[in-house]
Amino acid sequence: MIETLQWTTLAICGLVAAARIPSALRGENRSLFGIFALMTLAILLSIQGPYVVIDQAMGGINLANLLLRFVVFGAIFFLGIRVSRGFGADGAYRLITGRSGLLVLLTISAVMVALFLLMDTSGSSAGLVAISAKDGRNFALVEYYGAAGRAYPAFVALALVPPMVRAVQERLPLLVRIAAGLLALGGAAVALTLLFPLIPPALSAVEFIINYSAVLCYVVGLALIWTARVVNRQARSRKTSTET
Amino acid sequence: MSIPAKAFQRWLQSIAPDASTADVCRVSGIKRTTLAQQLVRGKVAVNTVVSISRAYHANPVASLAGFDDYSVLAGPPHPPTKCELVSQISTADLLRALLVRSAMDPVQGASAPVLGPAPHATSVKNWVDAIDDGEVRQRVSASTGVAPQNYSAQLTANRLSPELAMATAVAAGVGPVGGLVATGLVTEEEAGWPAGARQAALDSLSDGELTVLAGDRLQALGKVLRRHEQDQAQTEKIWENLG
Repeated sequence: MIETLQWTTLAICGLVAAARIPSALRGENRSLFGIFALMTLAILLSIQGPYVVIDQAMGGINLANLLLRFVVFGAIFFLGIRVSRGFGADGAYRLITGRSGLLVLLTISAVMVALFLLMDTSGSSAGLVAISAKDGRNFALVEYYGAAGRAYPAFVALALVPPMVRAVQERLPLLVRIAAGLLALGGAAVALTLLFPLIPPALSAVEFIINYSAVLCYVVGLALIWTARVVNRQARSRKTSTET
Repeated sequence: MSIPAKAFQRWLQSIAPDASTADVCRVSGIKRTTLAQQLVRGKVAVNTVVSISRAYHANPVASLAGFDDYSVLAGPPHPPTKCELVSQISTADLLRALLVRSAMDPVQGASAPVLGPAPHATSVKNWVDAIDDGEVRQRVSASTGVAPQNYSAQLTANRLSPELAMATAVAAGVGPVGGLVATGLVTEEEAGWPAGARQAALDSLSDGELTVLAGDRLQALGKVLRRHEQDQAQTEKIWENLG
């Protein structure tokens, strides 16, 4: 079931990213295409099969996992900028792009790289499961490394939840309000990942479900806003064509 | 507020004794499937009664008054108040009337154009504002059980169910049919408003009264337009960044 969820998410992300290629070539909102492309890459890197292939090509020391973390950071950073600007959430925008936001990003990145270097990272393993199983020291390092990797996305996601909840209640087109609801839900799911250490190992499937539903909420939400714009444009051109 | 199918059938018998359902639909311009559906559900729309009344040259208000829920419409005619009459003049007509008043334009000569028929784009809200002593909405809410925010939402959309329109008129102590004119269910003539009554009411306003009234209307219109523009700007910004 987890595999199905992973591949479905990958397919949806990839399709949306591919669908954005024409508009990206026209120069419309290229960063949106970038967000979708980064998300697709992140999902690809989180699935065992593709992960091992890519990591082997990078030397087999799980550098791909570190890459995955930074891909996620990049995607969530640009997503945070776009969404907060679009919805006029100035507070969230300042929090993400201001000095404190960048300081959080730098600190977490530095800590994460340091923890990665301290680990014995030989032997490709998605999610560093095999590394964690090596010994107590590596287990602890992987836990802290994972926590650092979840901290920054949660920071951005939490900053976006209040403005999204407000947007749901505003007088906006219905599709946009549904999209804002999905973005709020995605943000809440990302924030929930902070609680992963509390989840017993027997329920590790819950972690996958939370992760992938967060990505799905974000991707579908953003795609819906885009759809709303297309729908609106068509409605408007139909109106003008009947008027003339 | 719909009308029970049984009562409707009885009324239809009295107004068009020998007509088949098909005849009634053809004459009144109602779709056969629509009427059939309303009869099957047991609830006939008020509009249906109004259309059929007109088709058979009966007064729609008198027809409605025969049904239990609309009995308040029966009784002696209740002339509209001046405020109600003026509320049913569109903002554009009010402004045109103001422009030819001597206070605005000392050079006399032009005459105000003929008033457009009621209802107009904000006629429901203007009507309620015109008869509201400040507590009418609370009284309507108490007597009908409709939440104040739902009532306000209807006014903003320039709608009001016949039930609420009549309850509002009763609560404000004006003629029960005024709200049905403001919502466009019946015409002024059908409601028994004298011809030219709105024009007479408008002419009786002093320059000062008319100017203040036009100012209020403009302010309300400006608020609506500004809000619409803000919503539009916000949506555009979302699309600019995320579309």
